[in-house]
Amino acid sequence: MSNRTKGWGIAAAACVGLWLVHNGSANVTPPVPSAAQAFAAGPSVHTDAAADPLPPSPPVRLRIPETDVDAPMMRLGLAENGALDVPPASDRNMAGWYGDGTTPGAKGTAIVAGHVDNADGPAVFYTLGALKKGHRIEVDREDGRTAVFTVDAIEVYDNKNFPDRKVYDEADRAEIRVITCGGGFSKKNGYQGNVVAFGHLIGVKPVARSAAKSAAG
Amino acid sequence: MRTTARLFTGTALTVAAIGAFAAPAAYAGNEDWNSNSESSYSNSGSHESLEIFPSSASPGETVTVNTLACGKHGHGVGDANSLGAGEFQLNPSTHKEVVVGQFEVPEHVKAGSYGISVACDNGKTARGELMVKHRGPSGHVQTGVGGSVGPDTAQITAGAAVLAAAAVGGVWLLRRRASGARSH
Repeated sequence: MSNRTKGWGIAAAACVGLWLVHNGSANVTPPVPSAAQAFAAGPSVHTDAAADPLPPSPPVRLRIPETDVDAPMMRLGLAENGALDVPPASDRNMAGWYGDGTTPGAKGTAIVAGHVDNADGPAVFYTLGALKKGHRIEVDREDGRTAVFTVDAIEVYDNKNFPDRKVYDEADRAEIRVITCGGGFSKKNGYQGNVVAFGHLIGVKPVARSAAKSAAG
Repeated sequence: MRTTARLFTGTALTVAAIGAFAAPAAYAGNEDWNSNSESSYSNSGSHESLEIFPSSASPGETVTVNTLACGKHGHGVGDANSLGAGEFQLNPSTHKEVVVGQFEVPEHVKAGSYGISVACDNGKTARGELMVKHRGPSGHVQTGVGGSVGPDTAQITAGAAVLAAAAVGGVWLLRRRASGARSH
């Protein structure tokens, strides 16, 4: 190899290095669901099989195997303005559920929320926007059963036009909503929207032993 | 804030309405208008009726009750213990014919129907029902502050490593070229 060729090689490597540094310096935001993951017909149009609802029982843990989510769950109330409270931001792996509403697996619409990030970095639902239709959401419950949901859609809404009825209305079967922040970020206004995963119950299984142990402990 | 405003407007209207139909009796100089007004109020048993506004409320909301039972310049004590809101005072309103009192629906009341009663200083009592309903959540959630938004440090590190390697290579090449030039 001539010195000239080596010189070009080094110049090319320098360019690649510069590009990597430059590209890496651009802000990385949480994944945003594509339009293909949105509802084709709307949440009330059911074309697929659903499992019979379970009796109510509070949730203990939530898992999304596809994205390695495995989080304890806490009870959430409502804030003064009627919005759902959220888990403490300091606990990055904590998910919550609307405690006065439907419990996951029971007939109706169970509402789950968690942080996409906190001041230190990504949190429990950072990857929510990367879910796809057909992925599983599993919720361990106090009664020892795990409610298994399938994802029907992942949609993103602007904060100013949040569709309350579509997200919060009680379903006539066992459904779940998992909500986190997303949909664009600006330093001034923070996250501009919410990512919402819609799912319905497709099965029930006994709680896995390790999960039952951590739930008891 | 808007809810409070609506509540007050509603109360004012209720009071105004009561004043409107109580007034003719008062103008007629009928001191016994209270018994007249009974026909206008639905009255169950020995209790006089209690106006409850709003008749259906959620935890945390303020409920206003008023009644004609206590009479002009009367006072009364309300009993909202059925839903854990304790007792509350009823005092004459700006329209002196009714007494008005308020209490707040406690946060942890289950949805359902609760009896509210008022005992007047004049010995009369009034009763009404309050429906407690839970409102569901509304609006978006606040679940992020942007702490995950930032540069991709892994990519920057890789880029820096490649740049460093290129620099080392460049220096080595220049040195070799320089030493080659000397050997000639």
